[in-house]
Amino acid sequence: MADERPRWREDFPVRWDEDNYMTRRELAKFLTLGSGLLASVNILIASIGVANRAPALPARRIASADDVAPGTSLLFRYPTGDDPCILVCNADGRIDAFSQVCTHLSCAVVHRPGDDVLACPCHKGSFSAREGLPLAGPPTRRLPRITIERRGADLVATGVEV
Amino acid sequence: METRQQGSILFSAVLVLIALLVVIQLWLVAAALDALFARQLAVLVPTAVASTVLFVLSAGLLWYVVSFDARLRQWGPRD
Repeated sequence: MADERPRWREDFPVRWDEDNYMTRRELAKFLTLGSGLLASVNILIASIGVANRAPALPARRIASADDVAPGTSLLFRYPTGDDPCILVCNADGRIDAFSQVCTHLSCAVVHRPGDDVLACPCHKGSFSAREGLPLAGPPTRRLPRITIERRGADLVATGVEV
Repeated sequence: METRQQGSILFSAVLVLIALLVVIQLWLVAAALDALFARQLAVLVPTAVASTVLFVLSAGLLWYVVSFDARLRQWGPRD
């Protein structure tokens, strides 16, 4: 006597009349509930970010403006002694300062005056020495900028723009 | 004049629209998390506002389509 149970029944043992169906109305409600949940998560993330906002950093004298010649750079630490930074005086005399920590894997970047870039020797990454934007290599995020003010003959670091 | 067929098509369309808004919200959450870890705090509040607006939009669409359906049931089908 032949077995009447079809072979495919072994692979798909679900009976359609015993399956759970979701109506379009239920799905729409579920999606809207998910939408509310995602909005809540986004608000939570924003709250965490606002609550952990860094306090205003103290101004600190970095160097005398006369110490930095066009095409040269100067290393300093700001805002704490554990935060290495680099101040770059471009060929046209414009002064910019950035964190010296590469945004890829935290190696120290160095100034290459010829190309006007900040280069990371570890993985051949490079950043614009004017904007701190990644130009080549693995880094995808810009270098944090250190805001520099000229107060009389002094260059003063006043904050960090991430 | 509303018919059951119109209601059915409208419900499907709104369902797809809500799903699309949820996908955008998922992207916003991912972007907000990325910005939080990168300490780019200026991005966080706009993403939260955008996500809330999308939620309000989703809820409004759901309310509209449910009220449409209720109106259809109240007056009976006009196929």
